[in-house]
Amino acid sequence: MLAIQLAITGLQTGALYALTAVGFSLIFGSTRIFHFAHGATFVIAAYLFYWVYGTGWGLVPGVLAATLGAVFFGLVLDRLVYVPIQRHEGSFFTVFVASFGVGIAVQNVIGMIFGRGFTSVSTPLSRSAEIIPGVYVSPLAWIAMLCTALLLGGLHFFLRRTHTGAALRALADDPELVRTFGLNPRRIAATAFVVGSALVVPAAIITSATTGLNPTIGHHVMLISLAATIVGGIGSIPGTMLAGLLLGLAESLALLVVDSQWTEAVTFAILFAFIVIRPSGLLGRVVAH
Amino acid sequence: MTRTSPALGEPLMQIRKLDKSFGGVKAVQDVSLDLRAGIVTTLVGPNGAGKTTFFNLITGNLARDSGQVTWLGQDTAGLKPYRLARAGVGRTYQDLRLFDGMSVWENVLNATEHGAFPMPMSRAHRRGRRERMEHVLERTGLIDKRHTRAIDLAYAERKFLSMARIMATEARLWLLDEPASGLDPNSYERFLTILREDVAGGVTVCIIEHNLDIVVGISDRIAFLDRGKLLADGDPKTVLNDPELARIYFGDRA
Amino acid sequence: MEAYIYNLVNLIAIYAILAVTLNFIMGYAGIYSLAHAVFFGLGAYVAAWVALHVHPSIFVTLAAAMASAAALSLLLALPALRVRGEYFVAASLGLQVLAVTVFSEWKSFTGGIGGVLAIPPADVFGVEVFKPQHFAIVSLIALIVVIGLINALVHSSFGRNLRAIRDSESAAASFGKNVPMIKTLSVVISAALAAVAGALYASYMSFINVESFTLDTSVLVMAMVIIGGTGTVAGPIVGAALLMLLPSAISWIDFLPQTEVGALQQIIYGLGMTLLMIFRPGGIVGRRAGV
Repeated sequence: MLAIQLAITGLQTGALYALTAVGFSLIFGSTRIFHFAHGATFVIAAYLFYWVYGTGWGLVPGVLAATLGAVFFGLVLDRLVYVPIQRHEGSFFTVFVASFGVGIAVQNVIGMIFGRGFTSVSTPLSRSAEIIPGVYVSPLAWIAMLCTALLLGGLHFFLRRTHTGAALRALADDPELVRTFGLNPRRIAATAFVVGSALVVPAAIITSATTGLNPTIGHHVMLISLAATIVGGIGSIPGTMLAGLLLGLAESLALLVVDSQWTEAVTFAILFAFIVIRPSGLLGRVVAH
Repeated sequence: MTRTSPALGEPLMQIRKLDKSFGGVKAVQDVSLDLRAGIVTTLVGPNGAGKTTFFNLITGNLARDSGQVTWLGQDTAGLKPYRLARAGVGRTYQDLRLFDGMSVWENVLNATEHGAFPMPMSRAHRRGRRERMEHVLERTGLIDKRHTRAIDLAYAERKFLSMARIMATEARLWLLDEPASGLDPNSYERFLTILREDVAGGVTVCIIEHNLDIVVGISDRIAFLDRGKLLADGDPKTVLNDPELARIYFGDRA
Repeated sequence: MEAYIYNLVNLIAIYAILAVTLNFIMGYAGIYSLAHAVFFGLGAYVAAWVALHVHPSIFVTLAAAMASAAALSLLLALPALRVRGEYFVAASLGLQVLAVTVFSEWKSFTGGIGGVLAIPPADVFGVEVFKPQHFAIVSLIALIVVIGLINALVHSSFGRNLRAIRDSESAAASFGKNVPMIKTLSVVISAALAAVAGALYASYMSFINVESFTLDTSVLVMAMVIIGGTGTVAGPIVGAALLMLLPSAISWIDFLPQTEVGALQQIIYGLGMTLLMIFRPGGIVGRRAGV
């Protein structure tokens, strides 16, 4: 029974991991920008929701605030930080460090405003019901999985069936191709940031009601997103999604064997195993140097 | 590695039935070619014909689907690019790939430094190396810029630095990928002179080139590649006068 | 006041060693590691254990610290460096996170969250060095030796190979360089020397715990390297001094509660790094926009 319980919790966590990781993978895969501040996007969305909803404004304003905050943050970062850097040099190093610096600043600002302890949003939806003897699931678990399925399904449609989506997929390999579509590579890159940042919002909101928040949660989110992108295969969004689910499940099922403080170690172990055995990831393309 | 020179025309590198596909598209198809001592082979063909891919397959930068490459009698299967480089196969890149953060001098110096560990060198050896490097820099016209950072050089100077790097090594085969593209006529002349001197000195060259002046000025043999297939391999006059090939090259095709 | 200054000198020297060694791989080889504090911590814990159970001679503790860090870094580097740079960043982040858990749980070796107490002071040729003003001699000598070593490496063919790899791995390989091995070697050297800082730290503080070896520390050292200026000799030292002095400078701000000093410090160097990358990637000591 415990295994089933953990499996369902794992799927819930995995679904949220998948969403966040796909957001990062989309941005990195199409713009080649190592957007380390993606974890900060998550933190901003989560705390904005916590603040708006918690001060009684209601669900919809909360979701709206979180979404606007996340998207705005992603866009601002792209326009004010990444674009200037790419204009004069744009090496992996400079972009990564700049992104990282922003992440740290955000984490601390949030900590100063909201405090460094664990906070969470209380909602009846997080109350678990016993669906079969010994297994407790809250409505949020189903919401998480449904959200993920819908959003990633929508993303798939967007990437495969729309012009902008095709341009996004082409951007990394061939920016010139994007121009022949009559589209502006810069604007497509901005779209990647909008979509990628928006994807973390449901994950951030649900996390605020389930596992709770604290300002350092961005590091964990970033580690998962990175791990899922690599394990899934750089350049493969389905791979990242699969890897996110896998990591969530593994993290949860690991509790059958180890104590809770070792769950992050499980993520690292899986990541490391893939780097050693199969660097191209589950579904990635093998890229020549 | 023995230092005895091979007889002129003896095949140093034998490439047999090279194949490479990228997701259903055949980039290189069944290409066989000999690179012979002291002979300059020019690889020509329209854009996207697979010439650079061909180089990547030879050096091991790209894994081949099938085929065999033999260098000095040894099969190079599974050999990492750096090992082939140490065995005497040098290459330049179309996008140069200079060590931008280092000076001209450091770029050329580093081209001669293979090992991971700094090796103790006798003073005589060190002096000899310095003289060789200065000679190379004089020939490529970079001697006055030896302390300039590679990234600060003018375009033509960068192209010559790319050549200087390979000239400083002891490579016996040079795979040159469009080394002269974009150069002004004076620089072309200087480039051709350098190349002729090195070939006379015993270097074997395989060069990818679009510029017909260079092709005509230096080739002993021409290999024509189109859409991954080797369409012709032979005497420059024959290949260049073939109307079919000219049609493909100049872009008039179905 | 004097004791305060000597204390600062010791800490700056120790962090400068960390910054100089991180700069070796970040600024010259282009390898970005978020796990530097792991080797700092491993060096400290090993040195503490050896000092307590074997011999407090600084030469013994240093040797043990360096050997263990070298071994661990090999485990990280050998697989992770064969692939692209992003992989190493991810792997190093994972290692750092994992290490904090290990440091907190392995009670018999690290004392768990409580840490290791009563570490014997450094024994240099039979003399116990524990006063800050005396230890400053030890730490400064160590810093000078480390700088000398790194400098010699940077100006040798090894250093040129690193810079070549940073600028173009494929071209470096085309000129006969065994790129994975050279990168691995640089990581091992960097880790072993970071452990020197750890050993010094353990004997100087006589008490260590996991709080000093977290991701925050790795990030702080990275900030020192970047703000001071990568790929230069003086840069990391300037960065170390600046960021160690920052908390004191901040505490002069009256209306700021003590608890927020750390946060403000991080905000300053976080934004500092970002702004530098936009306007002056070379850092304080390095050159303006460009390599």
